[in-house]
Amino acid sequence: MKIILNGVEEIIPDGLSITDLIEWVKEGDPHLMVEVNNTYIYPKEYDRVWVRENDRIEMINPNLGG
Amino acid sequence: MLANTSILVAGAGGLGSLSSMYLAAAGVGRIVIVDDDVVEPSNLNRQILHGEQGLGKDKVLSAAGRLSDLNSGVTVVPVKLRITDDTIDHILDGIDLIMDGTDNYDTRVVLNRAALKIGLSWIFGGVSGFDGMASLFSPKGKPCFECVFPPPGAKEDPGPGIIGPAAGMIASIQSMEAVKEILGIGKGLTGRLLRLSGMDMRINVSTLPPNPECRTCGRQLRKGSRP
Repeated sequence: MKIILNGVEEIIPDGLSITDLIEWVKEGDPHLMVEVNNTYIYPKEYDRVWVRENDRIEMINPNLGG
Repeated sequence: MLANTSILVAGAGGLGSLSSMYLAAAGVGRIVIVDDDVVEPSNLNRQILHGEQGLGKDKVLSAAGRLSDLNSGVTVVPVKLRITDDTIDHILDGIDLIMDGTDNYDTRVVLNRAALKIGLSWIFGGVSGFDGMASLFSPKGKPCFECVFPPPGAKEDPGPGIIGPAAGMIASIQSMEAVKEILGIGKGLTGRLLRLSGMDMRINVSTLPPNPECRTCGRQLRKGSRP
């Protein structure tokens, strides 16, 4: 199915949770932040939130420099 | 209103450089600027508060000179100090708002907990490479910094460094938030996270729901109040 991942259209397998999606894109940052349709998702919810067609998902690496 | 406000600028680096100048130029009454470093050549690409004349000097003294030159009506208080749990209470005496210009997770945790404890808002900014983020953490029942960035936080990887305009854009947004917060106008970034991706030039603003699992403010959230 089609999603928009970090502003770019991606075709991903059906039936993925956020945890699955993180694995699918091979994102290894332990401090990764995830936003679905402009709402921040806390890590505890990653297994319970399912990716849907046309979702706009942002995978964010924290910026903590100054 | 601005002239009666006292702001702590925590850090005189890339973020604190620009935000302190905008706050001074806007006419904030008192700026307490805190940093324990000296100016180094590698700072000058983004820390535009300082110049070649300031190399080797304390950043806070370099900063105080520039800010006073920008607006002699502002009281600038330079404090050479590392911000820790032991020093933060002293620095916050008389402060109305905190501007984050720090460069690491641990110091932001110190700011977050102190701000929650005494009921102050603080304006977070962070940058790396071409990217950055900003938010306003308020004690008024919205998520706190540690809700969004739970411990143990990421250690900032110096990597390829920070491009000056990334720090400039985020510090500009922080400064705008500060003026709005002081004047009580507009829709602030409380409960929202703004993210700048400079490489593909996208700016996103996401909603931050309360995090009942937060060990710092979660207990208060579950009870429906804040410390």
